Formats: sequence, C-alpha cells, structure tokens
Amino acid sequence: MQELFNDILNTDGVNGIMLFAVDGELLFKAFPKAIKEAPEKRNWRYFIESLEGMRETDLIFEKGRIYIRKTDVGYLVILMALSVPIAMIRLNCDILLPSLKAPKSGRKISRFFKK
Amino acid sequence: MIKNVLLVDDDTEMLHALKEGFKRYLESFAVLLAEDGLQALEVLKKNIISLVVTDLKMPNMDGFELLAHIMQHYPDIPVIIITGYSTPEMEKLAREGGAVGYIAKPFLIENLARQILTTLRKESEGGTLHNISSGMFLQLIEMEQKTCTIRLEEKTGGQKGILFFRDGELLDARVNNMQGESAAHEIFSWDAVNLSIQNGCALKENKIQSDLQPLILEAMRRKDEEEPEVVPDGVIEQIESAPEAPADQLTILKDKIEKEIGQQCGLEDLYQDTLWDSRVMQLSKIGAFFQLGKFRIAYIDKGDTNDYILIPDQKTLVVTVDPRCPRDKLLRVITK
Repeated sequence: MQELFNDILNTDGVNGIMLFAVDGELLFKAFPKAIKEAPEKRNWRYFIESLEGMRETDLIFEKGRIYIRKTDVGYLVILMALSVPIAMIRLNCDILLPSLKAPKSGRKISRFFKK
Repeated sequence: MIKNVLLVDDDTEMLHALKEGFKRYLESFAVLLAEDGLQALEVLKKNIISLVVTDLKMPNMDGFELLAHIMQHYPDIPVIIITGYSTPEMEKLAREGGAVGYIAKPFLIENLARQILTTLRKESEGGTLHNISSGMFLQLIEMEQKTCTIRLEEKTGGQKGILFFRDGELLDARVNNMQGESAAHEIFSWDAVNLSIQNGCALKENKIQSDLQPLILEAMRRKDEEEPEVVPDGVIEQIESAPEAPADQLTILKDKIEKEIGQQCGLEDLYQDTLWDSRVMQLSKIGAFFQLGKFRIAYIDKGDTNDYILIPDQKTLVVTVDPRCPRDKLLRVITK
C-alpha cells in the first residue's frame, strides 16, 4: 500500500504521510526519517473532528507545512518542508484520491485501496 | 439616480456604436464597456452595475460563462443576451441560465434600449428617496422585516453601493470592490444619500452575520476616528506609539495584499471571527506535535463559494477569497 504514496513520499522535502479515518483512527503512516514521538500513541480524534467540512486544508508553520486532503475514507495528512512545491503535491493527491475508496464492510486496511 | 449598464462584446465597433446610440438615454443610464467576459468581471468588481448586456461568442470568457458568474456572484444584476448566432436551443440555454432578455443580431438600437429601460424600471419599483440619512431608514427596513434590494448613491462623493435585505436581515453589501461587512461599514458612514428600493432580493447567501445596529455604530465609530482631532502637543507621541486597533490592522493587511498582488488577488472580505478560534487551536496542535514551530496561517477550502485564510491571533483573523485566487502568492504575501 505504501506504493500508492510513493510519488508523494519521494518528493524532496516531504517528511511523512498519515491517513486517518473520520473517527481519528490512524490507518496508515509512513515517515522517511525517524520522528521523535510515534503518532499512533496520540489521540487524533479532536484534531480530525476540527477538519469537519473541510475539503482541503493547508497549514503553514514557522518550520514546515501540513497539507490535508479529505478522502473517501477520511483525511490524508502530508507533512513537508516549506520549500516543497505545493502544486505538485496537490496534483499527486488528485491522481491518488480515486484509488482510496471506503470499504463496503470490515475494517481491513487493504480494503481501502483499489486493486 | 443614474444607473450603470455594462455592455460586453468583442466587436468593438458594435460596442462604440451602441455607446454612441445610447447617449440619448444618458438621463436614464450610463454605459460602461468591456470586450470580453474577463474584462467584464473587472468592471463588475469596481462599479455598481444595474444591468449587463452581453454577446455570447467572445474570447477568454464567453457570454455563457459570464452569465453563470453573474448568477452566482451578482444575482441581483439582470442580464440581456445579444447574439449573432441565434438558435432556439441557444435561447433556451440562455433563459435557463438566468438571462432576462435575448435579442438576435442584427437588431434596432431602440429595441435594445426599450428592453434596457423596462428592465431598469423594475430596479426602483419600490420607490426612491433623495438626500436622506440612511441609518434611520435602514433600521425601519429591519423593523418592518422587508425583503428588498437598496441601491444608494452618496451625495457628496458620488459613490454607489448596494444593500440586500431578506425579511429585514441584512444579507450582504457591495461598494467599489468591497463586499460584506466592510462594504456595509463604508455605506453606513455616508452622510446623505439618494436611494432606490427594489422589491425582492435575489441574494440567498448570508454574508453578514451582524445585526444592523452594531454595523451602523461601528461605521460611525470608524468615521469619527478618521476625522482629524485637535490634539494637545504633549500627547502626540503617546498616541503615535499606541497599539493599532484591529480595524486598522485589517485595513493595513488589505492594502498590503492589494498592493502586492493587484486587483486579481481575489480578496473578498476581511474580519475577525472568534467562531474559528477553537478550530485554529486544534489545527495548531498538529504543528506542535511535529515540532514545526509557530502556527502562522491556514488556507481552507470547504467547497463554498469562498475559501478561507485563517490567521491565528487573539481573535482569529479571517480573509475570505475567491477560490480562483493565486493561493500560494496570497499566503506568501500575508505571512511575509
């Protein structure tokens, strides 16, 4: 499944990807470099709830940028450096999003992805 | 009150012939010209237009696209279509798209003038008032829970503005290239106005969340602040070093954006909104988790007619923008 995100992860300056369900459950994560605290240990529910109604969110911080995209299964969160061309990331998301589909039943992660 | 009619056609000879021909109606309406849909959008942003007459086949943005844009962003402005390639299907499409009139070329200039005058008459069917102070009158509209569209003209400067009321609630205001509360503040600061009332309100979306009275009071306060005061010598330094009022911060930011990006910046409105505060707090937490430093700005697309730029502050500063705005450029300018 990581292959789906490879184009984004291979972009210079992209530091990580997380895929959340709408209830805040972390469904997938990939970080090319080690991070200080494991994201699965954190409760992301309130953060994900704060994204309700948002189709696309672009957060700019002093030392980095977080791009969030609503998907059929929940929210795709991309961490990156400020230098990353955001238009390229958006384009990659546009291409990727049709492959992310909500499962009809069960919660097995492979069901989120089209073959 | 003289109304503005915008003529849009890529055939410049035709445009100037119409302008020349319409000179005899100058007491009823003035004519503004645009050579395609994109130019028309610029004219619409900067002027209060009462009616648009547009050709269909044009470069850059054609008449159908322009009609759709007007229906979405200026639903109060009637549109008449003129076309040299008329078919029944095209007329049907134009009517379904919201056009109030459809004229095939070639046509007599008097026929078009008659249709313009008939359409414009509806704009002031609710009556006109001259040389009044708008504040009290508008509060009456609110009390009486009227649904109407009010066009105002400032007596001294000649500025024109428009207010939309539904059941006594102020939905939106427009003046120059301002919209929403900032436009309402500007209009309410005018001393004496002529106004015409059109029954009905084509606008559905509520872009102003405040009641009328606080808006009028705020407009008065701003006006008072703008008027120069006689200040004793000793306190000038103290006043100059005082912190900026939020209203000034908004004006500075607006000026900065418009100066660096120009009219294409897509800026719709700027205001402070505490309703966003808790969301902004939640959004900032993900940055703290990944040690990204201070949260500077957010761009949000909710699929609405406007997108939102949020600037964290004691009260969140909200900039509403056209979704087609140069997003990255805007964010760069604001965070600079």
